[in-house]
Amino acid sequence: MQDIVEPTSCPATARAEPAVVACRLIDAGKNFAGVWAVRHVDLEFRTGEVHAVMGENGAGKSTLMKMLHGVHLPDEGQVEVFGRIVSMTSPRLAEAEGIAMVPQELDLFPDLSIVENLFVGRKRPRTRLGMFDWPAMRRAALAAFARLDIAIDVDASVRSLSGANAQMVEIARALMHDARIVIMDEPTAALTEREAQRLFGILGELKRRGVAIVYISHRLDEVFQIADCITVMRDGERIHTGPTGDLEMATLIQMMVGRPLSKLFHRTRHPAGDTMLELRNLGRRSAFRDISFTVRRGEIVGMSGLIGAGRSEVAQAIFGVAPATEGQILIAGEPVSIATSRQGIGHGIIYVPEERRSQGLVLEYAIDWNMSFSALDRISRGGFVSRRREKQIAERFRSLFSIRCNGVGAPVGSLSGGNQQKVLLAKALVVEPDIILLDEPTRGVDVGAKAEIYRIIDDLAAAGKAVLVVSSEMNELLSMADRILVMHRGRLTGSFDGPDFAVAEIGAAAAGILVERAEDVALHPGAVT
Amino acid sequence: MKVLWLDRAIKRPEAPPLAFLMIMAILLGLTTPGFLAGANLLSIVSQVSVVGIVSLALNQVILAGEIDVSVGSLLAACAFTFATMAHVTSGLLLPLLASVAVGACIGLLNGAIVTVGRVPSIVATLGMLLALRGVVLLLGANGILLVPSAARLFGLSTVLGVPVPIVFLILVFAGLDIANRHTEWGRDVFAVGSNRRAADAVGLRAGFVKFRCFVAVGLGCGLAGTVFAGQIGEIQATAATGFELQAIAAVVLGGTSITGGRGSTFAPVIGAVLVGVILNALTLNSVPGTFEQLVLGSLILAAISIDAVRFRALRRAS
Repeated sequence: MQDIVEPTSCPATARAEPAVVACRLIDAGKNFAGVWAVRHVDLEFRTGEVHAVMGENGAGKSTLMKMLHGVHLPDEGQVEVFGRIVSMTSPRLAEAEGIAMVPQELDLFPDLSIVENLFVGRKRPRTRLGMFDWPAMRRAALAAFARLDIAIDVDASVRSLSGANAQMVEIARALMHDARIVIMDEPTAALTEREAQRLFGILGELKRRGVAIVYISHRLDEVFQIADCITVMRDGERIHTGPTGDLEMATLIQMMVGRPLSKLFHRTRHPAGDTMLELRNLGRRSAFRDISFTVRRGEIVGMSGLIGAGRSEVAQAIFGVAPATEGQILIAGEPVSIATSRQGIGHGIIYVPEERRSQGLVLEYAIDWNMSFSALDRISRGGFVSRRREKQIAERFRSLFSIRCNGVGAPVGSLSGGNQQKVLLAKALVVEPDIILLDEPTRGVDVGAKAEIYRIIDDLAAAGKAVLVVSSEMNELLSMADRILVMHRGRLTGSFDGPDFAVAEIGAAAAGILVERAEDVALHPGAVT
Repeated sequence: MKVLWLDRAIKRPEAPPLAFLMIMAILLGLTTPGFLAGANLLSIVSQVSVVGIVSLALNQVILAGEIDVSVGSLLAACAFTFATMAHVTSGLLLPLLASVAVGACIGLLNGAIVTVGRVPSIVATLGMLLALRGVVLLLGANGILLVPSAARLFGLSTVLGVPVPIVFLILVFAGLDIANRHTEWGRDVFAVGSNRRAADAVGLRAGFVKFRCFVAVGLGCGLAGTVFAGQIGEIQATAATGFELQAIAAVVLGGTSITGGRGSTFAPVIGAVLVGVILNALTLNSVPGTFEQLVLGSLILAAISIDAVRFRALRRAS
């Protein structure tokens, strides 16, 4: 894959203190059940530098970070911290090496005060009498926040904090331990624009103090704003490392996405029918607004964008689990009001959630039970469920989707991820919906099962269903969708027609660039179909 | 401008029950002659000290996000041990140590089943509740075990005018309060109950923290058993049946969240006194004893509902 030999770090730029290599990955690799999540990665992170690591989902970023933070021990190669080869088998050992992580999902203690949160699991200072020295801990906490230039009530409970302030607590926690290497995983995902700017100010301060910052983000705009150096990962390999200034945004996007995947799947093109679903300026406070588009019978519309851009929220609003507060939904041209998922189903809509374990399937239950949950009224007579009908339906979907299982009475938990996903699809289709909303339908399934799921989705479109697919995998949408909509921070920022998509422009729209042009599109949703 | 310390005091979990207790006391003082008399107040606290001591220990288990419903049988077993030992030896030290040792052993067992065996604590301790009661029934089948009068000291005598049960209660409270402020274990109890995943992430040994909570309950029951034996003077095999519900009620009424993480060392004491005051008020106003369960039950339901509403309100406010 790596066609040109790239440097493993950026050439040092002029700065007050000479940068040294804080941390180095040497030919590092990690294998999960026979699959290399990351392999042959050589990479250096320097002091006083923000080094962004970019890549699509599944590119190996998280695995890389987890190797740096002691969660995974590399199966190949080594990790070196300040010139010393280390073997970190737990986050505590990584912390001892001066490596701190600000996780994407904050792990704090909501019921405890901020001071207490900073000291949990750490050695607390004691007075001469052997008591915990709370005044000293308060002072240390205040000092940590003062260094970040943040005024905060350190005695308040963490539950009472906003997301941004909770994140500041995580950062303060990292700094209290004199971390020399700070890993940040999507730190701005939950922040507002202003809060993000404040975070960048803090990053600048950390740089001046010689901290090496490893910065993971999907947001191109902010990476170009703050990173000194960018590494691109794709399919578990390092594709590029170089100074931010040497990189064009379009080049970066191209490197992240790579060539369109060698055709996993060939769409059958079929003429689209009547408009089935139409949104007019749909919105929900603090989630998304002004969303307008149409989906016709036989059409597959993809929704692209970053995690947290509001894509799932739009799908959930259409279905009714989290109803919209403004705008209009039209089904087959008729305005409808959908306030609950029950009403959504009543209008022939079905939503297949991303989290199949927590939202979609009961793993302990049999395949046929899971499939019939939402359609028991269809297979019941006089209040009694017909097991015969239930089994018939399950068998039909089993052969239709070629679900590999030990009979339809087997528990869903015994199936592979891909086959579980097919059961989830079958469950949605038992009620014979007209409009199908799929949220990350191939998340966590292997390549073979992906192709089968694409075929199922294609068949649905061929059968005249209106299909909306939310996906973070660009290649998936590129090879499957008739049209790709792009969202950024709750707004529709682009709409692109297939089959030949402008990849770089889609990436830019997802990053919130070219907003002016994209707003034109959003204003005339019909014009591009 | 908001007064910060007052604002924070109001948000403390035990604030509403304390306010409720004070209002009750004032109302009862105005309406019920004899309620505010020093002797009556001392006797209320003395009467609730067994519940108080046990619920102080139980509070730790609940804060850590677990539950121990075996305390009724555990208390009976300890009191039974104490009385039996008091018959065979003369001094009080040996019976006291025996009671505490039995309590500790059962606490160890509870803790091991929950943390090593990974059995849900409600199931494990429910089993223990029944099994221990079975043991007490087998051993005490021949009727009533009288506590020798010399051995009733822990229940009846006073130190400098303060009843021994209250002295014990204060000592246990002070010990746990210091533990919760100034020991790793005490602080970790709150952390583990508040967010287990985060506790694991920072390397706390959650299982061991919980294990020690169960042992604390055993020790508490061992100590409380001596007071209990002294106060009632005779022990039947069915003694302290249903006591576990009073202890859990005291913890929850006092403001510790049943889901763990949120609460304080004051909560079980306030809760226990609250229960005592209400029962005392019923007695003083000659309400038939048959109403006790109804009143206590309603109070617990009210307390839990109010806590849930308040918790959501606090969250919204932020």
